[in-house]
Amino acid sequence: MFRDIEEVGTGLGRENYIASKEISTVVYLAQSLSKPVLTEGPAGVGKTELAKAWAGALGWPLVRLQCYEGLDESKSLYEWEYAKQMLYTQLLRDTLQDVLGEAKSLTEAAERLSMEEDVFFSEKFLLPRPLLLALTSKEPVVLLIDEIDRADVEFEAFLLEVLSDFQVSIPEIGTISAIHQPMVLLTSNNTRELSEALKRRCLYIFIDYPTLQAELTIVKLKVPELSPELARQAVEVVQQLRHMDLRKVPSISETLDWARALVTLNAKAIDEETMRNTLTVLLKYEADVQRARRLLGNGGRRQMRGGKLGR
Amino acid sequence: MEDRIIEFVRGLRSAGVRVSLAESMDAMKAVTILGVTEKALFQESLRATLIKDSSDFALFDELFPLFFGSGGPPLQSALEDLSSEEQEMLRAALEAMSGRLQRLLDWLTSGDGPTAEELEALAKRAGANWANDPGEARWISRRMLRQMGYQHLEEQISTLVQELQEMGMSQEAIELLMGVVKTNRDALAEQVAQKVGLQIAQERNERARDLFGPDLIHKPFQSLSESEADILRKEVQRLVAQLRSRAALRRKKGKNGKFDPKGTIRANQRYGGVPFDIKYKKRKLKPDLVLVCDVSTSMRPVAEFMLRLVYELQDQVAKARSFAFNSDMKEISVTLAGKRAGDAVAEILYNIPPGYYATDFGHSLETFFKKWPDSLNSRTTVVILGDGRNNFNSPRVDLIKLLKRRTRRFIWLNPENKRQWGTGDSDMIDYAPICDEVYQVRNLAQLSAAVDKILSPY
Repeated sequence: MFRDIEEVGTGLGRENYIASKEISTVVYLAQSLSKPVLTEGPAGVGKTELAKAWAGALGWPLVRLQCYEGLDESKSLYEWEYAKQMLYTQLLRDTLQDVLGEAKSLTEAAERLSMEEDVFFSEKFLLPRPLLLALTSKEPVVLLIDEIDRADVEFEAFLLEVLSDFQVSIPEIGTISAIHQPMVLLTSNNTRELSEALKRRCLYIFIDYPTLQAELTIVKLKVPELSPELARQAVEVVQQLRHMDLRKVPSISETLDWARALVTLNAKAIDEETMRNTLTVLLKYEADVQRARRLLGNGGRRQMRGGKLGR
Repeated sequence: MEDRIIEFVRGLRSAGVRVSLAESMDAMKAVTILGVTEKALFQESLRATLIKDSSDFALFDELFPLFFGSGGPPLQSALEDLSSEEQEMLRAALEAMSGRLQRLLDWLTSGDGPTAEELEALAKRAGANWANDPGEARWISRRMLRQMGYQHLEEQISTLVQELQEMGMSQEAIELLMGVVKTNRDALAEQVAQKVGLQIAQERNERARDLFGPDLIHKPFQSLSESEADILRKEVQRLVAQLRSRAALRRKKGKNGKFDPKGTIRANQRYGGVPFDIKYKKRKLKPDLVLVCDVSTSMRPVAEFMLRLVYELQDQVAKARSFAFNSDMKEISVTLAGKRAGDAVAEILYNIPPGYYATDFGHSLETFFKKWPDSLNSRTTVVILGDGRNNFNSPRVDLIKLLKRRTRRFIWLNPENKRQWGTGDSDMIDYAPICDEVYQVRNLAQLSAAVDKILSPY
């Protein structure tokens, strides 16, 4: 566990995650208030990465639940292994005979059977899925619930019990409470409004695209092979692209991909030729590529000196 | 401090942010953990616990300094650097001035600014408690400064300098004094501005909220003012949540899917495997929508809310294509790439110019069949949103019949009452018998009921 906010920052930094003051504050608060954190922001700004770094910094395992439309509790919480249960019943039939054989009356037999009931309804037949795994794990974990906005509203409601009390109700067995309270991080890409009830239970942080300086630090950290001069130029181009009216602006992960591509191609400078060859790493729509080429003009160099581009 | 935080939460609420009791308790806890000594940390702990929507950040950042600001930079004292003789001269020179300006210059030279009560009284006189929104703060603080005598300050300062010179104060001391007076002048102005901002935010807490969404949803679209429409746009969110859970429930209860052996065995474990409770696989009951909206001036508000509702409910619809017509048909399918549905819709409507007396539905339909025949198939639900008023152009009933034949379900939404059909240039009376369903959508309540019908299986 982190002792103070500085430790959060350095801990995440050790995992190669550059955390802003805001992020480390919220992470620290989440731990001290034992509340889940809800992160929102555009795709590819490192929301999922934060969970990984968090788990890494604490030295806890990460349990990840990827949400999608149609996700329900049998896929997220647990599944009852009815086949295994059947099999046990079949195999235990002889033993049952021994137990029940000596019974003199039906009542006695029923009584004896009820003493053994736990064999048939126990956690042995429970196939744990991520949520249950996170709650019943012997060691504390970080639970990442990724892209919660993709899941159905009913699933969101189902999560409420897990997130506020860290327990789940299983009809066959009863209520299972967490052994260690997991650190929970939910991410959302903001494609739909989440319910008030869910938001109320979480701390909230909005992670936006980084500033030029912050992005440069990230690039230097993750792709140290790239020369500082080139890294600066590359980040400047990316920042310019984010100001353009594109269908999909490049994210941090795409900046890093591009930086790696520049290293692989052994580029000396970001000139027209390099841009033409590598722009598709940054932009994923043909229309965007065309538009960016037009606006960036001469390999992006001329405009870079000229300052900001209009939208 | 606790009282201040509670006041701040009330301030946020009256500015339209939804903050629950649980959240304000979280804020208190967070503050106890992180303390109040470091302001940035304090601000962050309040923000993470109270604000759950990135669009509310701006409001938070606006209100926070008002409630937790230091009240502006402190004033400095000029007296310490002056000899007692010089202080005497200054006092004499100030006494020669008129009351209001004497007080102001006294504040500025001594460094003891106005007390909190004095400031409050001044703010009240400037009308701070009649102001409605923070935008008026600047105007009111300007009035307040004028009342304090800032207007004539420049001339008064030069008179003061002259007088002090005549009294024989050294040039050095005068310059020192004037330097302090000038810094203090700006500091006091800043103090006043913050005071006024806070006063306005607090006043707003006391006032009752004027209009709420739930009453407005029964008001006809045509008579909505722009500010009312804004409130309704927010109300759409709540309606959408309702519609979504209704649709989801309906889908859950619709037991007309295939038999689900796995689910049945699983559900009947508690009966020892005897299948009492039969489970079915859910069938996809989400409609495939084609929306055709009239975006003439009269129909615009209805079209906007319709598009908002449908695109907020994207996850309840298998596919949605939308078309807008005025004099001709255009495809306006909303691309949501990373944007909120509401913003995307507003952007699209902004890009369509409104027209007057140019509606030609018949011609638009012709274009539709020519350009996008692929949008119709036996699974699509076609929804036309329009008043059926055609400017006496050809109604093209034949094309409407063709449309009906090609689709699974054909719904017409019309803001007009049945009695108005067929009057003037309305062709609704010809269209209505062809439609599977016709609903009147005069206000948001009717519109959301109609959308609910559209989402329910036919």
